[in-house]
Amino acid sequence: MAKQEKALVVPGEAEPFSQDDVLVPPRPKAARGKKAVWNNSLRIASVVAIFFIWWILSLIFPPTLIPKPWETLAEAGAIISSGNFFVEMGSTLRRVLVGFGLAMAVSIPLGILMGTLRNMESFFEPPVILGLTMPGLIWAVLMIMFFGLTETSAYAAVAITIFPMLTISIWQGTKSIDKDLIDMSNVFQATPLMKIVEVILPQLISHILAAIRYGLGLAWKVVVVVEMFGFSDGVGYQVVRGFNVFSMKTVLAWALTFLIVMILIEFGLIGWFERTVTRWRPRVEAWRR
Amino acid sequence: MAYIHVDRAVKFFPREDGTEMLVLDGVSFDTKAYDITCLLGPSGCGKSTLLNVISGLDRVDRGQVEIISNHQKSGARPPKLGYVFQDPRLLNWKRVEDNLIFALKGMKVPSSEWPERVHKYLDLVGLLEFRKQYPLYLSGGMRQRIGLARGLVVQPEVLLMDEPYSKLDQLTARKLREDTLSICALLKQTTLLVTHDVEEAAYMGDRIVVLSARPARVVNIFDNPFPGTERSLDDLHFIEFKKKVLQTVLNLIKEEV
Repeated sequence: MAKQEKALVVPGEAEPFSQDDVLVPPRPKAARGKKAVWNNSLRIASVVAIFFIWWILSLIFPPTLIPKPWETLAEAGAIISSGNFFVEMGSTLRRVLVGFGLAMAVSIPLGILMGTLRNMESFFEPPVILGLTMPGLIWAVLMIMFFGLTETSAYAAVAITIFPMLTISIWQGTKSIDKDLIDMSNVFQATPLMKIVEVILPQLISHILAAIRYGLGLAWKVVVVVEMFGFSDGVGYQVVRGFNVFSMKTVLAWALTFLIVMILIEFGLIGWFERTVTRWRPRVEAWRR
Repeated sequence: MAYIHVDRAVKFFPREDGTEMLVLDGVSFDTKAYDITCLLGPSGCGKSTLLNVISGLDRVDRGQVEIISNHQKSGARPPKLGYVFQDPRLLNWKRVEDNLIFALKGMKVPSSEWPERVHKYLDLVGLLEFRKQYPLYLSGGMRQRIGLARGLVVQPEVLLMDEPYSKLDQLTARKLREDTLSICALLKQTTLLVTHDVEEAAYMGDRIVVLSARPARVVNIFDNPFPGTERSLDDLHFIEFKKKVLQTVLNLIKEEV
């Protein structure tokens, strides 16, 4: 463990010992496993706490307003086992992911350009900042009026709503990259493509990960609104159906199923992606001892 | 065979108020081919400007700065430079070996040569067994060694080193100086090392070019009487030589005050 500590060196900071023998073997597997069990216990405890508060509230209010947690879970289970679920969820997820992908494909290059070129920054700053304040609901209305009730309007509404936030994140991240490394790349005659892929993008990884998380969260909020406007499938449509018969249980159950899917994406896909792309970075352990 | 030829180099920097500041005032010197030349001068004397000019990032206003090499004369391609910075300036998200490959790729070295070169130069700096590691898991001294290997791996005609030991602790720096000296001797590497440390210059330099404070002029040029392998920091004759260099620098400072 003592050896481990010496290696946790913040780049650019003078380290007390820089003898050449301070190589660090990766943390032993057993210790890592123990840590992981503890972290997962904390995550589970947090979810249990939420259900506990829900249960307390359900004792106070009538079941039409706040249904019992397990009844809602049972309903969610019924929805998932009905088979219908995968069709509805598939439609909604497709809209989220296509819209999100479109926004990301524009935001990353635009953000990098804005962060590196003064002219691009001046020109694109107003629309991006203004876009940030535009409510997703208005974009949803505008896109449906323009494209009609088609998939295109769902994709466009999602993409346009989240695009300013993604761009700002990448743009500000690009401004904070290490200029010395750009000088280094120039000295070794790196091509522009090498500079973007091997020098700039890796420095943006924290910003990109944050943008993915915010972006997916926001995308889901917009897509439900679009679907409520008169689509005949998707989670938003099912929620409206629940609303029309005033079934709190149905509305919550559908919301719950979506949360489960998002959690799977977050902890499975994004978590895996984050671990893979940040393996080079020793963990920040600011509160040890 | 390659060396740097600097002839009456003059360089002005524009000031905020529109006037111009003289940075290089007719600097002339030649570096020695196959050897280490140290550029010794006080901080802010224009050493970095000179390095920028040599590496082609900047131009002189008058005079000439060029790298004379066999290849250059035939006009086939620009002189190849290797660079070692004050900070290691590594790509921390790339493994040690991939940091070297980044330089090889930039310098358009055919990829068939990469494995062999990476192996050779990591072995020279003593980091072969760490080639799969990420830099942030290594010590400061080791990271600076990777920087040295990256400067050498492109097999430069001239290696430029910009105060490469100034951020290291004394013991690490001392060991790395020794190793650099023997590696450069082994490779017959033409090297220009910029420093403000007199002892370092006397120890590392086969030739030592002493620059004055701004505007930079060449005050004196020493050729080291000791071959690289026979320099010992404790040897009395070597200390005499170091004192001679130190005296030149001290006189400079006196003039200034």
